[in-house]
Amino acid sequence: MRTGPPTARTVLTGAVTGQARHVVTSAALNAAHQGGEALIPVLIGVVIDRAVGQGGPVDLLLWIGVVAVMFAALSTGFRYGARSGERAAEQAAHQLRIGVARRVLDDRGGAEHRHLPGALASIATSDAERVGMVNLALAAGTGALAGLLVGGTALLVVSIPLGLLVLVGAPLLLWLAQLLGRPLEHRSSTEQEHAAYASGLAADLVAGLRVLKGLGAAPAAADRYRLASRHSLAATVRAARARAWHDGILLVATGLFVAAVGLLGGRLATQGEISVGQLVAAVGLALFLLGPLSTVSWVNAEFAQGRASAARIATVLGAPPATTGGADHPADPVRGQLALYDVRHGTLRGVSLHAAPGELLGIVAPDPVTAADLLRCLAREVDPEAGRIDLDGVPLATLDPGRLRAAILVAPHEADLFEGSLLDNVTAAASAPAAVAPALAAADVAEVARALPDGVRTRLAERGRSLSGGQRQRVALARALAAGTPVLVLHDPTTAVDAATEARIADGVRRLRRGSTTLLVTTSPALLAVTDRVVLLEAGVVRADGRHPDLLRDDTGYRTAVLT
Amino acid sequence: MTAAGPDNGADLSAAEADTLLPTATGPQVRAALRDLIRPRRLLAIRGFGLLLAATAVGLLTAPLLGRIVDLAVDGRPPGAVTGPVLLLAAVAVGQGVLLALGLSLVARLGEGMLAELRERFVDRVLALPLEQVERAGSGDLTARVTGDVTVIAEAVRTALPQLARALLTILLTLVGLAVLDWRFLLAALLAVPVQLHTVRWYGRRALPLYARQRVALGAQQQQLLDTIGGAGTVRAFRLTEPHLARVAERSTAAVDLTLRGIGLVTRFYGRLNLAEFIGLSAVLVAGFLLVRADAVSVGTAAAAALYFHNLFNPLNAALSLVDDAQSAAASLFRLVGVSRLASPARSVTHSPDSAQAIGTSGPAQVTDPAGTPDTVGPVEVPDGGNPVGVPDRVGPPGATGLQIEVKGLRYAYTPGHDVLHDVSFSVAPNERVALVGTSGAGKTTLAKLIAGVHQPDSGVIRLGGVPVDELDTGVAGRTVALISQEVHVFAGPLVEDLRLARPGAGEDQIHAALDRVDALDWVLALPDGLATVVGDGGHRLTPAQEQQLALARLVLAAPPIAILDEATAEAGSVGARLLETAATRALRGRTGLVVAHRLTQAAEADRIIVLDAGRVAEIGTHHDLVAAQGRYAALWSAWAGTRG
Repeated sequence: MRTGPPTARTVLTGAVTGQARHVVTSAALNAAHQGGEALIPVLIGVVIDRAVGQGGPVDLLLWIGVVAVMFAALSTGFRYGARSGERAAEQAAHQLRIGVARRVLDDRGGAEHRHLPGALASIATSDAERVGMVNLALAAGTGALAGLLVGGTALLVVSIPLGLLVLVGAPLLLWLAQLLGRPLEHRSSTEQEHAAYASGLAADLVAGLRVLKGLGAAPAAADRYRLASRHSLAATVRAARARAWHDGILLVATGLFVAAVGLLGGRLATQGEISVGQLVAAVGLALFLLGPLSTVSWVNAEFAQGRASAARIATVLGAPPATTGGADHPADPVRGQLALYDVRHGTLRGVSLHAAPGELLGIVAPDPVTAADLLRCLAREVDPEAGRIDLDGVPLATLDPGRLRAAILVAPHEADLFEGSLLDNVTAAASAPAAVAPALAAADVAEVARALPDGVRTRLAERGRSLSGGQRQRVALARALAAGTPVLVLHDPTTAVDAATEARIADGVRRLRRGSTTLLVTTSPALLAVTDRVVLLEAGVVRADGRHPDLLRDDTGYRTAVLT
Repeated sequence: MTAAGPDNGADLSAAEADTLLPTATGPQVRAALRDLIRPRRLLAIRGFGLLLAATAVGLLTAPLLGRIVDLAVDGRPPGAVTGPVLLLAAVAVGQGVLLALGLSLVARLGEGMLAELRERFVDRVLALPLEQVERAGSGDLTARVTGDVTVIAEAVRTALPQLARALLTILLTLVGLAVLDWRFLLAALLAVPVQLHTVRWYGRRALPLYARQRVALGAQQQQLLDTIGGAGTVRAFRLTEPHLARVAERSTAAVDLTLRGIGLVTRFYGRLNLAEFIGLSAVLVAGFLLVRADAVSVGTAAAAALYFHNLFNPLNAALSLVDDAQSAAASLFRLVGVSRLASPARSVTHSPDSAQAIGTSGPAQVTDPAGTPDTVGPVEVPDGGNPVGVPDRVGPPGATGLQIEVKGLRYAYTPGHDVLHDVSFSVAPNERVALVGTSGAGKTTLAKLIAGVHQPDSGVIRLGGVPVDELDTGVAGRTVALISQEVHVFAGPLVEDLRLARPGAGEDQIHAALDRVDALDWVLALPDGLATVVGDGGHRLTPAQEQQLALARLVLAAPPIAILDEATAEAGSVGARLLETAATRALRGRTGLVVAHRLTQAAEADRIIVLDAGRVAEIGTHHDLVAAQGRYAALWSAWAGTRG
C-alpha cells in the first residue's frame, strides 16, 4: 500500500494503471472497430453510386472487396478489443478482491467494525467488479469517440449542413432520451424495491420453513407471499407501462430525426448538391451514430458507479487498525505466565488477575458482555483503554498481534468452521500432525464422526452449518486443542453438549493441557470442576477468587451464577 | 429463437438428480405455459397484434427513403421531397404509439404470468413435506425461490419484449424485401445458414460454460463469506495465508471462466459479422443485377440495402438473447418441476375431533383443531388449495389437549441403522412429559415422527385417537405443533412474525400471547414496540428472545398438542431458566412432549420417558425414577453432582 490512506481516486487509478497495457490495447482495437462500423453506411452509399447506379461488374466486385476487408478489420478489432478490455476489467477486480480480503484478515483487524460480513463479501465481489468495469468502459468509450469522429467527419465531407444537422440532432435526441428516462429510474427503483421485498420474503419463508411447518402456518405464509407478489406485480406493470411509453416516444423522436435528415438530404440530392449514394450514407450514419453516442452515456454511468464502488473499497482498505504499535516477538520459549493489572475496557472496570505457568484457571463472568470484552483484550483484538496485560512479564501492547496469537490462542464461542473435511479443519490449525489425534480424543469427536456419513473425512458445508450445535462445538474445541499454544483461552466450549459428554470433555481438556496455561471462561460446573482455581468477574471486577468447591460452598453469588 | 426444449430439461435433471427436487420435462413446461396463457389469450393476441402493427408501420421507412432516392435520380424538383418526408413523420408517430401500446400489453401479459407462476411455486414449496425438503437440502430450494425467479423475471422484463420486437422486425423486414423484389429476399436469406449454424455452435458451448461459470462464481462468493465471516477465527488460528490462497484460487477460477466466456462471445459475433457481410454483399449484388435488368429502380436497390443494414441490430439482439432465453428456460424447468409436485393427498380428511376417542371436557371450539362449527369448510385459496382462515380459537388456560399414543415405532434414516426400535408409550390429554436421553438417543427423531415430519417405518402414532398419517396435512399442522431447535425470526415487523401463527390476530391477543411467555415487557420496550422490524437485517434479538417469540407463536397457534425440542443452551443458564418457565406457561392447556436438554426441565414434568439408543429405557415420575436407581437416576446424579 502506498503512503496516505487509500481514496476512491487512488483505488480507481490503481485499477486502471495496473492494467494499463490491456486498457490501451483494448482502446486502440475498439477505436478501429467503431471507426470501421461508421464507414459501413458510407461504403453502402459508395457501392450504390459507383456500382449499382452507373458502374460495371468490375466496380461492383472491387467495392464489395473493400466491404469485405472492412468487415474483416472491424470484426478482428472487436474480437481482440473486447477480450483485452474484459481481461483488464477482470484482473483489476481480482486484484481488488484479494486486497480487500487481505485487509479484512489483517492481524490488526479493524476492517470488520463498520461492515457486516455479507456487506464486506459484496464489496469484495460486486464493488470490485464495478471498479474493474471502469477499464472496460474506458476502452469502450475510446472506441465510441472514434466512431463519432469518423462518422461525423464522413458526414461533414458529404455536406456541411447535413453533417451539422446530424451532429447536433443526434446528441439532442439522446439528451431527450435521458430526460424522459429520469422519472423512469424512480419508478423502476420502486419496482425493484417491491420485487426485492417479494423475493426476500420468499427466501425468508423458505429459511423458516421448519418453523412454519411446525406450527402449521405454511398456508398463512403462502397468503402473505401472494399479497407481496400482487403488490410487486402492480408496481412492475406500472413501471413497464412507463417504460413502454418511453420507448415509444423515443422511437417517434428517432423517426422524426430520420425524416429531417431525409428532408434536407433529399432536397440536397434533388438539387444535385450530393449524390444519391451520399444521401443513403447520410441516413445510415444518422442511425449509426446513435450507437456510439449511447455508449458514451453508458460509459458515464459506469464511471459514476465505479467511483462509488471505489469509495466503498477505499473505506475498507483504509479502515484504521484496531490496535496500533507493538512489533516485538514474545519470549521464546513462552512460559505462559499471564497477568492483568487494573484492566479497564468496556464493561471491565479494573480487572487484576494472574495465571501461573501451567495453571488451569476458570473465569466465571455471568455477564456475557464482560466475558467478550475480556477475550478481545486477551487476543489483542483491542488494547485496553487503561491497565496492562503481560505475557511472561512483557506487555501485550508491545507484541506483534500475529506473533502473539502463536503464543495465546483465544478460541471464540461462536465457532466458525471452514469448508473442507472435519479433519481438515482440525489439521489446518494443528501445531504438529501428532497433535491431531489426542485433540480429537479429548474433545470427544469420535462420537461426532460416527454419526457422519464419511466419519472425520466428511466435508463440512457452509461454515459447518451442516453439523448440529453440539457437534460443531466439539470439532471447534478439538481444533483449539490441536493448536497446542502455550496459552489457550476457551470460551464456553461445551454449551450445546449433554451433561455426560461434557464431563468427559472436561477431563480430556484437563489431561491434554497439563503443564500449559489454560483459561476456561465459562459458567459450566462440569468444566469448572476440573480447574485449579476460579475467579468470579462481577460488575467488571474480580469479586471472588478460590477453588471451585470452596466457592460453591461459601459464595452465594458464585453458586447462583454457576448452578441455576 | 431456440428456447431450451425438452433436451435441455433432460440434461438438467440428470445433472441435478442428486438434489432430489424435481426438474420438469419439456412437455410439462409447455403444459404449464399453456395453463398460464389460456386465461390471457385475448391480452396476448392484442399485445402481439399491436407490436406486429408497429413493426409493419416501421418498415415503411426504407421504401419512403428509397422513394426520395428515386426522386433525386429522376431529377425532380426539391419540393417533391416534402410528400414522402411528411409520410416518414407520420410513420414515426404511428410506429411509436403502436409500439408503446403493444409493449404495455405484452408487459402486462408477461408480468401476470410470472406472478402466477411464482405464487404457484411458493405455494407448492411451502406445502412440500418437510422430509423431502430436508433430504434435498434447503439450499436448492432457496436458490430456486430467489435465483430462478429473478432470472425468469429479468427475461420477462427485458429479454421477452426485446426478443419479440427483434423477431417481428426480422420477419417483417424479410417480407419487406420480398415486396421490393423477391430476389432481394433470396439474397438476404444467404446469410441464414451461417447464422443458424453460429447459434447452434454457440449454444452447444455456451450452456455448459456458463453453468461452470455460475458454479465458480458461487464458490468464490461462498469462500469470501467463509473467510470474511470467520475473520476472527482465521486470525485467532493464524490461517490468514491459507485463506488468502483459497480466495485467490477461487477468484482466479471464476476470472478464467469469465474470460473464456468472453472469448466465446467474441467468436460468436465474429461469425455473425461474416453472415452480415454475406447478406449485405448479396443484396448489393442483387441490386446491381436488378437495376441493370431494369427490374427495379436505384431507389429500390438502396431501400433493400438499407433494409438489410437495419437488420444488423435486431439480428444481433435476437441471437444474443439466446443466452438469456436459455438460462430463463433452465430456470423455468426448475420452477415448474417443483410447482408440479402433487399437492399432498387430501382425500382422507379425518380430523381428530370427529373420532370419539377424545375426552373432551372443555368447550368444543377449544379442542377442535381443524374447523369449529363457525368455520366449517375452510376457505379454499384459488390456486394453492390450502385451507386458510385458521379457526378463531383462543388457547385459554384450562383448554384441553389431545392424547398421544405411540405403538411399536421403528425408524431408520438409512436402512439397517434403526434410530428407534419398537418405541411405545402414551401421553394423556394435558399431560406434560419430558423426553430424556444422551445425545443421539433418538429424542429429536421421535419428536419429528410424532409431529408427522417423518413417516415411521413401522408402528402407529395416534393423536386424539386418529393415526397421524390419516390426518389431513392442513389439520395435522394445527393438531400438533413442533417447536424445533432451529430458531428463525421472520424478517419484518415483529407483530407480522407472530401473525403467521394466527393470521388476523388482534393486538390484544398478541399482547396476551407475549405476556404469557414473559416477553411483553421487552417487546414493548423495543424501538417501535410491536412494529419493530426484526429478523434478517432488522433489530437483533438475543437467542433467548428468539425462543420466547417461538413460544408466543405456539400460544397463538394454540394446537392441542405441542412438542418442544428447543435449544435452551445458547441462552446461558439464567436465560435457560427463564425459558423453561415460559415454556411451561405456553404448554398450559395442551398436551406437551418436551425434549429435555436440561434435567431441571425433566424434574418438573408430570412424567419422564428415558430413551437410550433408540429404546424406551424407563418411564415414570421424577421421584419414581430417581428412587429406581436406573438410568435416569444415573443421569440425574451426573447432572446434580456437577451442581455441587
